[in-house]
Amino acid sequence: MRRVLYRETHSSRAAVSVAAAILVLVLAAYGVLESGVHAVGQPAWLIEPQVAAQRIVDLPAGISPLLLAAIGAVLAMLGLIFFLNGVLPGKRARHLLAGAPGEGLPAVVVDDEVIASSLARRARLAANVTPEQVMVVVSQRQVLVNVRPTSGIPVDQDRVLEAVRDELDQMLLEPAPVPRVNVTASGVIGA
Amino acid sequence: MNSTPAMLNRILLTVLGLILLGTGILLVLLAAVPSVASWWHAWSGGVWAGIARLFDSTRFPGRPESWLWIVVALALLALMGLMVAWIAQQGKGRSNLLAAEYDPGETPGDVRIGGGVAEQALKQALEGRPDLAGATVTTYDVKGTPALKVRLLPRQGVAPHLLAAEVSGLLHALESVVGKEVPVLIHIGAGARTRFSRAERVR
Repeated sequence: MRRVLYRETHSSRAAVSVAAAILVLVLAAYGVLESGVHAVGQPAWLIEPQVAAQRIVDLPAGISPLLLAAIGAVLAMLGLIFFLNGVLPGKRARHLLAGAPGEGLPAVVVDDEVIASSLARRARLAANVTPEQVMVVVSQRQVLVNVRPTSGIPVDQDRVLEAVRDELDQMLLEPAPVPRVNVTASGVIGA
Repeated sequence: MNSTPAMLNRILLTVLGLILLGTGILLVLLAAVPSVASWWHAWSGGVWAGIARLFDSTRFPGRPESWLWIVVALALLALMGLMVAWIAQQGKGRSNLLAAEYDPGETPGDVRIGGGVAEQALKQALEGRPDLAGATVTTYDVKGTPALKVRLLPRQGVAPHLLAAEVSGLLHALESVVGKEVPVLIHIGAGARTRFSRAERVR
């Protein structure tokens, strides 16, 4: 089950892997064609392997440096994409829901967007503003609640923070984010 | 949740990425730095001479071609086979069986419960809920044991922990019907359908 949870909170490399495999497949197919043709003594399809190797050996000559640099840059870029895809952790914007002990909750994975909309609803009720005046950003370790008060009606920052913290405590997210409330100085007119 | 070989994907991607990155940087340096070009001439010239000698010493008797070409072609064919196998490994793991048990009763034979039972039952139970914009249930095969994945799309503002608790009640009921504990993953997600649908107001 731990493996499954890891799967769900980290992004899949399947698409990039298929692209890489197809790239290698095409190159290998061309190599098979040329070397097979060469082995039976037929003329080459695109370029004789020996000629190609000789061209590679005296490389900076025989091709314009600008083109060579461009080809190199494209290859390096492609390599960097594959390399970073292989090395970076690739965490998805998701949290685990631990659930209260003894409740027997199955493994639950929640998108950060769902958490944000739930927290926004709670913060909106605590601040007594319309849904458009609250914006919540949920990241791996932090929850940022932005409230734009209705002009003339002050918003109690501590009350909003209390409400958001209470909601987070009930959710028991893993890893647990720290809430922060930010009440903007300018208000909204006529909300 | 499927059995995509995550570790293998990472390793192969890293190796391929490093090879391409190295080649690209070498080409750029060849074009830009003259001293690299002279080093490259010396080094690659030596390597190429060695390979050419190898090809010369492995000719077919009486013919100008080397049998090494056939070896190269076979090796590349093997590489192609490996790549096809790698692609075939991606995203496998959906299954159709929820439980299979030997029936110790008087009638000989096994009892098998298909994944459709859980999928249909849960879908039916979740259909009328006003706080859900959609729900899908799929059966997976995780290392030989069947597992369920329940994907819920709640409307905006629904508390995920309450939703999870209610759905887990349904799952317990399902387990008691099937008579077997099934590992379950609940994924509470967001999509275009939940983003543009109205928020749930009364609950």
